[in-house]
Amino acid sequence: MPPATILSQVKEQFPETVLAGTEFAGEQILHVKGQHILTVLTALKADGYNFLADLTAIDNLTLGGFERFVVSYHLLCHQSAERLTVKAYIPEENPSMPSVESLWKTADWQEREVFDLYGIIFEGHPNLIRIMNPDDFDGYPLRKDYPRLGRKERDDFPVVDRGIQKKNRPQ
Amino acid sequence: MIHDDIKSNILTTKLEQFINWGRKNSFWPMPFGTACCGIEFMAVLAARTDLSRFGAEAIRFSPRQSDLLIVAGRISIKMMPVLIRIYEQMPEPKWVMAMGACASTGGVFDTYSVIQGIDQFIPVDVYVPGCPPRPEGVVEGLMKLQDLVGKEKLSDYDPVQAK
Repeated sequence: MPPATILSQVKEQFPETVLAGTEFAGEQILHVKGQHILTVLTALKADGYNFLADLTAIDNLTLGGFERFVVSYHLLCHQSAERLTVKAYIPEENPSMPSVESLWKTADWQEREVFDLYGIIFEGHPNLIRIMNPDDFDGYPLRKDYPRLGRKERDDFPVVDRGIQKKNRPQ
Repeated sequence: MIHDDIKSNILTTKLEQFINWGRKNSFWPMPFGTACCGIEFMAVLAARTDLSRFGAEAIRFSPRQSDLLIVAGRISIKMMPVLIRIYEQMPEPKWVMAMGACASTGGVFDTYSVIQGIDQFIPVDVYVPGCPPRPEGVVEGLMKLQDLVGKEKLSDYDPVQAK
């Protein structure tokens, strides 16, 4: 089914959920509310978009948009080689949404990455822990209000001296 | 007769110089390659700029068997505790080479997650600039380190502090 058709079909099917449908660079983008992402993606998967090519997030703090956080799903239909982007919007005060790990196993680590860097909670995820930053890391570094140079975490290590080698050795 | 044999077979030197001569001509490097500098270091070991000409070809991937730590690549905040642990596992005497811009200063990666120079936390003896350095640069750095080791004093190693 061509993406334009599927867009109008999904809009009919979930009138409460779909915020907008736009096109950019020849690709269809479906904007939905984050709370209903699992039902939308289940329907899309049944319609032939069987492959989750990528899952990532955007912080709209300086960009503006329906809500502050966007989780973006890039779907691919292997049969017709057509692509569809689904953008799920979730508010700043309660950044949580259903996990799609039950649909695509590949979403497991990608949702962990989004959680690690943006602090978005995926309900129903089997193992939602940090994937790249240290376990005791504080904060979500890809949020736009996180300082680029960090909060001293890169300067906070014990200093090892030369041991039995004296410091006044020749330079 | 005996006296002549001895004259042609004995060299006199200072113990300190003899020890330093042995140390500097037989480094046992441990490569800590985390980025493209690690790939470049393989080229240093290959035939064109052969490190075995300097006695440093015995690469050991165990810190307990090596005395020269070559940090080749950027060190993230998650890797720094590992690097500190590995440095502490190396037996004395030990030396550290910071290979490339990232290990020396953080390079272009001025972000929250990258250590801005490993010398903030572990002692570094020789820095090799470049991104990544040419193999000739690494050889130059190794020769500089050989000079440094050749000038060391035995009294630099204080057994009282060693406990």
